[in-house]
Amino acid sequence: MAAPCRRMASRSLLQFLSCFSRTAVGNAGFRQFSSTSVCRATLMTQSVTARARSPWTLMAAVCLQRFPVISADCTPIEQQFRQMMRQMELEKSLLSDHELRLLEDAERMSRKQADDYDSDEDDDLGDQEIVLAQDLEDSWEQKLKSFQPTPRVTADTDEDLTSLERCLADSLFLLAEQQVGEGKLWLLPQTRWQDGETLRQTAERALASLPAAGLKATFLGNAPCGVYKYKLPKAARTESTVGTKVFFFKAVLSDSGPPAAPNAPLLWAKKSELQRYLKPSYMMAVDRFILGL
Amino acid sequence: MNTVFRKLQVSVTQQAFVLNQALTSCRATPSIQHPVWTAVNERQYKTMPTHGIGRWRHLLPREAPKKKKDRHQMKEILAETDTAYGTLNVKVSGYDMTLVEHYSQYIHNLCNRLGIKVAESYALPTKTTEVMLMQEQGTKMFVDAVLKTHSRVVQLSSLNATACPVFIDVLLKNQPEGVQLSVQEHTEADFHARFKGRPELEGLMAQMGN
Repeated sequence: MAAPCRRMASRSLLQFLSCFSRTAVGNAGFRQFSSTSVCRATLMTQSVTARARSPWTLMAAVCLQRFPVISADCTPIEQQFRQMMRQMELEKSLLSDHELRLLEDAERMSRKQADDYDSDEDDDLGDQEIVLAQDLEDSWEQKLKSFQPTPRVTADTDEDLTSLERCLADSLFLLAEQQVGEGKLWLLPQTRWQDGETLRQTAERALASLPAAGLKATFLGNAPCGVYKYKLPKAARTESTVGTKVFFFKAVLSDSGPPAAPNAPLLWAKKSELQRYLKPSYMMAVDRFILGL
Repeated sequence: MNTVFRKLQVSVTQQAFVLNQALTSCRATPSIQHPVWTAVNERQYKTMPTHGIGRWRHLLPREAPKKKKDRHQMKEILAETDTAYGTLNVKVSGYDMTLVEHYSQYIHNLCNRLGIKVAESYALPTKTTEVMLMQEQGTKMFVDAVLKTHSRVVQLSSLNATACPVFIDVLLKNQPEGVQLSVQEHTEADFHARFKGRPELEGLMAQMGN
């Protein structure tokens, strides 16, 4: 209708050669996204003569999410099952090379300490007699003690709604307080569609127009994932505007850049907290595509 | 009720008809001592009305017999269209084999559930990395650890552009720690990289070319 839907897969070349890795190296809390640059097919703007004017104003919103950094804690049943499986696997397993070596060394030591020990009978093992397997284990234990893992849950950062490090085990969504009509509302960052651009470009513009600079995101696909229709109250309706339609696009946070000013009207919320900030009908539309996994 | 009665009546009349026919045939040939029995083969139940009721293989289209060379032919690499991506390789790699295998099985099952066609699902050879550390006293390097990188590939034949964001979202949300995920287009080079090289053949071909 009004918004041109370009070839959905035209940007695919750039999307494809992207590699997501989940390692601890690099920015804590962000997936490493590497995408090789391939020449994008330039989108020709089609000029449609005599396009029918629709009575709906179109807007595009971006649902920016930060994925969980660590896996969630196991429920009590999962913990019990895990313990039982570990015990079963331990009982069914065979001895590894290192454990066999431990046993051989212990046996050799006991033979050496016996009175009638003849060193010529023993095989020539060389290095293994100098560095016993037990010594290796001790050195490994020392190294493990000097390793300090960072705490999984920090109560302070969890309370701070604007911090990106909160709730590492859940996925967070960006909410912005924007001017809609007369009043300010908390909603997913949105902006109005303009002629000659695709809806996805509108969503990218919505992300770039936020006061938090440096939020780099990777959009997943050209197709919107949800839509919200809002009819204006009868008093505000005219012939040209009956209401607004908001199309949502999913994006994944790849880099956060410098932290935003504390007064910026942005916050990162979990799915369960979204209800506190969003209006009920909007929440119902958004709920459909936000995955609570 | 009426239909039941009607059926009974029909069957009764049919049975009467059959009996009449049997009687007439018997009466027609009283003298012949059933030579038909010896001529017919042992399977007398061919006259049963339900004979051959379970046969289905003759209904299938004729398949050409498979030759051994066909197993290594490459499947068609689909090109992308306006609404669907072409052949994609979802590659999962990591050090922990149980995690990598379980995650690739999860991806395969997810594709089956979402209706995304999976062309192939295979494993690439394991790459072994030896981590060498310098000794504290001395200049010799010694082997500290041996790390093995396992990788599995799930090849999707066509991914709808509307299903793509949902699919990738679910994949990324469930990615375990220590496992790398990468989505790439499938190329011929990828296919040929799976086979072992044949140095003698290549040598002979080079000689022939020269």
